[in-house]
Amino acid sequence: MSGGGPADESGTDAELMRRYVGGEAEAFRQLYARLAPRLLGYLLRMVRDRAAAEDLVQVTFLKVHRARAAYVRGADPGPWIFAIAHRSFLDDVRGKRRARVGLADDGEPPEVSADITGATDGVRAAADDQRELTQATLAALQTLPPMQREAVALTKLGGKSIAEAAEIAGTTPGAMKVRVHRGYEALRKALGAAAATEEST
Amino acid sequence: MTVDRQDLPAPPIGDLLAAELRELAPVATRRPWRDVAAVTAAAATSIAVLVVTLAVRRDLDALPRAWLIGYGGAWLAGFALLAWLSLVPRAGAVVPRWLPAAVGAGLAAVGFVAAGLTFDRTTALSLVYAPTTANHLLRAAACAGLGTITALVPMLLGARLLRGAVPVGGAAIGSGLGAACGAAGGFLLHLHCPITHPIHLGVGHGGAVLICALLGALLVPVLARIR
Repeated sequence: MSGGGPADESGTDAELMRRYVGGEAEAFRQLYARLAPRLLGYLLRMVRDRAAAEDLVQVTFLKVHRARAAYVRGADPGPWIFAIAHRSFLDDVRGKRRARVGLADDGEPPEVSADITGATDGVRAAADDQRELTQATLAALQTLPPMQREAVALTKLGGKSIAEAAEIAGTTPGAMKVRVHRGYEALRKALGAAAATEEST
Repeated sequence: MTVDRQDLPAPPIGDLLAAELRELAPVATRRPWRDVAAVTAAAATSIAVLVVTLAVRRDLDALPRAWLIGYGGAWLAGFALLAWLSLVPRAGAVVPRWLPAAVGAGLAAVGFVAAGLTFDRTTALSLVYAPTTANHLLRAAACAGLGTITALVPMLLGARLLRGAVPVGGAAIGSGLGAACGAAGGFLLHLHCPITHPIHLGVGHGGAVLICALLGALLVPVLARIR
């Protein structure tokens, strides 16, 4: 994410942020259009619920708006905005005192709606077993402890580097690497156990 | 095991955010080096006011010049380094370097306590007291308290200047900022306090850095959070 984020005809994220703090609402809208989908994808993997994730996207951008004077000109706003999303998620969890262990009241893993699978058109068109694997992976993801879930969501699913994910989560790269590894191993075990159960039945 | 990513459509901008955007005005953004200058000015003012109010130590002229300058320089270097780490992010980032700030705070706290216990110098004009535990505690508490009072204004100012900039790592950055301001407090004690007993220098003067680091770790996450 270094270098001020992706560039297109509108400029980098840093350029949009510069215009936004300069008072251009259109620059904010462009920045929102660029970052909100990525934030929504990240938050969906954390909260499982689309409405809650969309609320958190709004809360995140409200906080960005209210804290825009804290922005440092020329900096890439992406990691800062993701870190605000991370904090908003934690505040939401603590505020509502909800245990997000990923199991429904009946003790079963929750159903994952199609729109949070992150599947592309190509994947949707692919064989059923690939889709089932994707869904099983995402369902298994919800069973991980929040920190491991976030580590996997940011790196394996969100495409962030270890250093970027560590910056967003407010931890060290070493600790993030451990969380990713543990999360990945837990996912592997969960998927292996699910496959074994399926075979035995 | 991979899961393909897909960027989802952006949710519409909510009413509350849209309403705030309608009143969008230009804002002056954070300039980290200006923040360092402001905190430095606040620390210098605190030190100057307290030195003038409380008087310079009576053994100042009798102390070895090299020790006086070297020890004073260490306090100032500690302040400058930790203030830089706590307030200035690396190039291209918004959030300051919280891990180096926290590590620096820890090293400074330990280092200044150890330096006080190790590098003491005394003169005939220095203040000597009966070295009992009660005396040590009483005098150390007074000096650590004075160091903390010196640190309070620059620390609160720094926390205010960081508002919104530390969504994560607030306690770590706060410990660095607190330790920086504690080092400023240590410099005030270096100029004011005529006690030269190593336990007093270590626990009383060095302890101010530790207390301020802990105070910063508690205050900054609260004061710098986004409302």
